[in-house]
Amino acid sequence: MTKTKVKPEEIILSFQTKFPGGITQSRIERRTSGTMKTEFIHLWLHVDKKIFKEVVKHLFTFDPSPHFAVSSGYDLRDTIELVYHFSLFYGTRGDELSLNMTVALPKSDPVIETITDIIPGALIAEQEKQEMLGVKILGIPKDTRVFIADDFPKGIYPWRRDETGPEKLVRNLHEAEK
Amino acid sequence: MKTTSKTTYQIPIGPIHPALKEPVSFTFEIDGERIVNVDVHLGFVHRSIEWAGTKRNLVQLLYLAERICGICSYCHPMALALAVERASSIQVPDRAEYLRVIHAELERIGSHILWAGVAAHEIGFDSVLFLTWQIRETVLDLTEYLTGNRITKGITMIGGVRRDITPEMVPRIHETLQFLKSQMEKLHHVMLDDTTIQLRCRDCGVLTKEDALSLCAVGPTTRASGVRKDVRLDQPYFAFGDLDFDYITPDLLTSEVRGDVYDRIVVRLLEIKQSVDLIEQCLDRMPAGDIVAEPKITALLAALKKVTGEGIGRMEAPRGEVFHYVKLTGSDFPYYWKVRAPTYNNILPWVPMLLGQQIADIPIIAASIDPCMSCTNRVTIVHKSQPSMVDGEQLHRLSIEKTRRLLR
Amino acid sequence: MAKGLVKSFKKALWVYHINSGSCNGCDIEIIASLCPRYDIERFGIKMVGSPRHADVLLITGPVTRQMADKVKRAYEQMPDPKAVICVGNCGNTGDVFYESYNLVGPVDTILPVDVYVIGCPPRPENIIHGISKAWVKLETLETRP
Repeated sequence: MTKTKVKPEEIILSFQTKFPGGITQSRIERRTSGTMKTEFIHLWLHVDKKIFKEVVKHLFTFDPSPHFAVSSGYDLRDTIELVYHFSLFYGTRGDELSLNMTVALPKSDPVIETITDIIPGALIAEQEKQEMLGVKILGIPKDTRVFIADDFPKGIYPWRRDETGPEKLVRNLHEAEK
Repeated sequence: MKTTSKTTYQIPIGPIHPALKEPVSFTFEIDGERIVNVDVHLGFVHRSIEWAGTKRNLVQLLYLAERICGICSYCHPMALALAVERASSIQVPDRAEYLRVIHAELERIGSHILWAGVAAHEIGFDSVLFLTWQIRETVLDLTEYLTGNRITKGITMIGGVRRDITPEMVPRIHETLQFLKSQMEKLHHVMLDDTTIQLRCRDCGVLTKEDALSLCAVGPTTRASGVRKDVRLDQPYFAFGDLDFDYITPDLLTSEVRGDVYDRIVVRLLEIKQSVDLIEQCLDRMPAGDIVAEPKITALLAALKKVTGEGIGRMEAPRGEVFHYVKLTGSDFPYYWKVRAPTYNNILPWVPMLLGQQIADIPIIAASIDPCMSCTNRVTIVHKSQPSMVDGEQLHRLSIEKTRRLLR
Repeated sequence: MAKGLVKSFKKALWVYHINSGSCNGCDIEIIASLCPRYDIERFGIKMVGSPRHADVLLITGPVTRQMADKVKRAYEQMPDPKAVICVGNCGNTGDVFYESYNLVGPVDTILPVDVYVIGCPPRPENIIHGISKAWVKLETLETRP
């Protein structure tokens, strides 16, 4: 498997030409480690919800098998932002590039398409987003809970910061009645 | 009257397991002796750590992260520290980068030796369990000597580490490494040349390279399938960029990649050797200097309080890539914290590994990814709607009986 | 309670271990106490794979919502006389997991705990000490009329 490393600037440019206006923000984070100051790159993109899946498909033009680490997600009062973490060009020393894609979803309609048909390994991460943030993943192959119990009250999403958050269920173990 | 009934039956396994990690529950659909379908249920150890993390300050968070997993008690706080350092642009001193490598590799040695014992136990080879855990005790002794604790090390600090390795500590480290080297040859012989282990592990629980890639497997599980993926090399963190080492795939030893349980043993044993070598390299090359960027914790917290930004921390834990994401919004507490342990990604590869295998192979295949669960217990076999209880001991016995059968 | 049990416990105390959502730190220390360095099997203390065979229940972890009823069921399956040892700070008090939406612990709100072993994780010596305390409990149970 040969992978040709592409510069982060070229990746951003390629996305911007393919999806004009779809990449709202981009940031290249360069850091070094060790005494030899080995450089590594983290790339941060903000992607429009409508083209998100096409963008993930476009990743395959750079690397035939992009590694999907996990997706994060947080509640920003009016919107819910999901961050999909990918890594490209692994397999050669020092070449790997971390690509983080942020997608904003309106809280009134938090719906996003599944990526499990292109990256099957994303299943657990998507299930987790459904139960933790109340995001609806369209076309998810297995629509069940993974981490929280089946008898956990419906309509409560642990990572939310509004009235649907878990505050009602929280208890302090130190104050337990014996 | 002739009745036709379903030929397959279901075996739920779990969630109570008498040893090691997270309770996990499986439902197997069995046709005779073969597994035709697997369903994995997680979440029995969901302690709401990520939510609780948004109510602690970043230094308190390190100690919470340490208790995500008792075996990876160094990787999780360190990955969090990496994420925070990147979000806040803290520069770690060079000496601390080397010290971090030493502790990380020491943990890897301990974890892999532990795993070798557990895997041997699963196929009924208990003497190897005791042998490996005896070797592991010397690793724990060294950990205790260097950090003060056996399991939860409490060594991580944002911007460095909390304890230095002084020159008078170095001979003791070399002594343990020499002992480990001498024991590794024995362990290689016991684990790899043994006919029983070859019969049980060869071509058992195969994960193809294609599956490993598409299911995003990480760590030794994916390397045993021939995928060159190791965060230490792909994207060097700490001082790994300065050190001399390479990807470990099973073909280094056996000149072929089969992606079975045996290959996973090979990869882990080779990695122990590699880790010993890396610690030696670090001890030789370690520069003098500070061990932490900001020694005063109050000053550190005050600085972190002003930070707005996000960062990711990735580390190669013994089981694979640990991933932490942190979002800071200029307050005492992080706005959001995401933890991704390696087993999270290695759950889905279980399915192709287990399909078509026998019931007696479940323990060793389940253990082969070094998951956060190992012994299986309390199994209910529902056969023609008449439930009969089989406990973990019986499943374990089935596994041992298969070993005996093969030996005849 | 039947006489003569103490004599049998002296050489054979069987222990069953449940992880109710702990981090594994305690669990590996329990295994470590079985292994050659500490070797509690020389005292006849043995880990068994089924609660039905056990005299002592070792429980680790702060008890998650999903595990609460499973822990209770395992306890109910144990024959009398039995003792419960809670290993580790998180099972005793909640410790670092003190505040949560998914925990129903500490363990003593769910099961009657006889011995509390503190430490995060406790050293194997401490776990062995806890088991020997459980021995004392089983003995006093017998001397009681």
